[in-house]
Amino acid sequence: MTTQPLIVLEGITKHYRMGDEIVQALRGIDLQINPNEYVAIMGPSGSGKSTLMNTLGCLDWPTSGRYVLDGVDVSQLDDAALAAIRNRKIGFVFQTFNLLPRATALKNVELPLIYAGVPPQQRRQRAIAALESVGLGDRLRHKPPELSGGQRQRVAIARALVTEPSLILADEPTGNLDSKTGEEIMQLFERIWREGNTVLLVTHEDDIARHARRIIRIRDGRVESDHINPTPHVVEPIEQQQ
Amino acid sequence: MKRWATEYVEVLQSAVESLRANPLRSLLTSLGVMIGVAFVSLMGWALRSLDAAWEATLSSLGSDMLYVDKWNWAGGGNWRLLMNRKNITIDQAEEVARRLQSADMVYISADSWGRTIVHADQRASGVVIEGTMAIFGMLPSTNVAEGRFFTEMEERNATAVAVIGDGIRSTLFGNRSPIGQVIRIEGRPFRIVGVMEKRGTLFTDFLDRMVYIPLPAFFGLYGRYSRSMTIAAKAQSPDQLDALRDELTGIMRAVRKLAPNAENDFSINEAQVFRDQVANIRAVIWGVGIGLTALSFLVGVIGITNVMFVAVVERTKEIGIRRAVGARRSSILVQFLCEAMMLCVAGAVVGVIVCSALVAVLALALRESAAFLLPLLPAEIVLVAVVISIAVGIIAGFVPALRAARLDPVEALRYEA
Repeated sequence: MTTQPLIVLEGITKHYRMGDEIVQALRGIDLQINPNEYVAIMGPSGSGKSTLMNTLGCLDWPTSGRYVLDGVDVSQLDDAALAAIRNRKIGFVFQTFNLLPRATALKNVELPLIYAGVPPQQRRQRAIAALESVGLGDRLRHKPPELSGGQRQRVAIARALVTEPSLILADEPTGNLDSKTGEEIMQLFERIWREGNTVLLVTHEDDIARHARRIIRIRDGRVESDHINPTPHVVEPIEQQQ
Repeated sequence: MKRWATEYVEVLQSAVESLRANPLRSLLTSLGVMIGVAFVSLMGWALRSLDAAWEATLSSLGSDMLYVDKWNWAGGGNWRLLMNRKNITIDQAEEVARRLQSADMVYISADSWGRTIVHADQRASGVVIEGTMAIFGMLPSTNVAEGRFFTEMEERNATAVAVIGDGIRSTLFGNRSPIGQVIRIEGRPFRIVGVMEKRGTLFTDFLDRMVYIPLPAFFGLYGRYSRSMTIAAKAQSPDQLDALRDELTGIMRAVRKLAPNAENDFSINEAQVFRDQVANIRAVIWGVGIGLTALSFLVGVIGITNVMFVAVVERTKEIGIRRAVGARRSSILVQFLCEAMMLCVAGAVVGVIVCSALVAVLALALRESAAFLLPLLPAEIVLVAVVISIAVGIIAGFVPALRAARLDPVEALRYEA
């Protein structure tokens, strides 16, 4: 099990039709990511990194190629099965947080568990635990508009962690935060990674990518470079708050 | 299974929450359903009340009674032809009563309509004076509320006694007891010995405006041959009604000396003649009710569909988020269907509450003039209304919900309001 890669991409392509034009967003990506890696996917806008992230996140199907996630070939699955994969194996963290504005922090974190069919009692306990682990144990009843940007992103991270997914997929997680708050979020990712999770950052910022232990650069829909980060910027994770 | 249940409980909760987030919009949106449910409920209530009135009519006229009369009570036939019929004289009536064998009871009566009677300085007009026999007082459908009916002795002696209807009691005496009081009919004094129970219905409201006096006394007032008699015969049981009708027809034809090919020059009436009237009223209530109901549900469906489309656009981002964390297309479909349904059910509940209040007030306000009105909505009508409203919700919400379910999660997540 330890030798099995978490992610295997083989010849992934993705074509879009935009009007009369066919956009080749991905032109054949081969990639392997092992469990408990800390990877940054970098690339300028238009490089295809967003498309790659949507494919990795099972939000979209590749036009061709094979995507094996945790031993399951997800490129062949139908919508309902893909929804189940997103639910159990992937935790998303978005640049714009993407929380339900009218729901409390607790309810937001419970949301994936609802679709997983976890009974209410257990759901609540797990959501509270996840919020406590990101230091928001005292903000359970707050709604997103009542929280700061950093706190909102922590709620989003708690939501990503609550299902204990195989992969944490973070798309520009600090893009809407000031640099100090951004640094705190990166400390959180560092800790999550050290706790044994696989973390995949999608970013165009070197400042963010340098935290990762492996950096993959995408350009024109292809992997431009893929190397171990020789000098990771290690932010010592703050101790878990209770 | 459990997994679905968990999800749907949450879906219902969030549907309620999103209604509460926009109470005014929810209210206005469900107005069509509210009105539709109101029409369904009121229609059901009106039909029920009609049935109650019909039952009361049957029991007040007696479902086992036949009334031989010059007139056709149903109002059918050629009026001029009926007008030209010869009166049924008292001699003919007595002859018929004498010959009749299959009846349980027979009595003869005569009416004078639209009279005015006086007590002290009070007058009651539109009164029906009925000369009848003491035996009428013994029918199971004749109930004296206060005092007694007149006796055979009083009948034979043409004693000036009267039994008055409940409507006349309230007009002339209010809450006082009329027993022993004197009323003047055509200027002549009659002593009141009894008051009838209230028995008028939608179809027979004149029953409460009747004054019963002994038939010989009636002749004393109006003469023996001025009016056509009614022969009332009670069958031994309701299923003997046809045999009794045949016998009555035969005897009447003989007594009236009709040629074998001549048409009957009399009518044999029964409580059932009001059945056609009931059927007509039913048809009108149905027609109007169904039409209005369908129209308001149509308006309701259009309104809800429209608002649901708006809601789907407004909440595109939310749909994207839910899809990203694991909602299936079917989850989204069910969520929006539930919201449309909740809108309708909320509308239905408001409609039912408003109607219940309306019906209770109506029944209370009209308890004198329309006692047959029910004070409550029939339970199964309420159930039907709620079921229909759920169906309306599903119909109205389906296309918007389908659109929500088919949103591409990537596009939906990218959407900014």
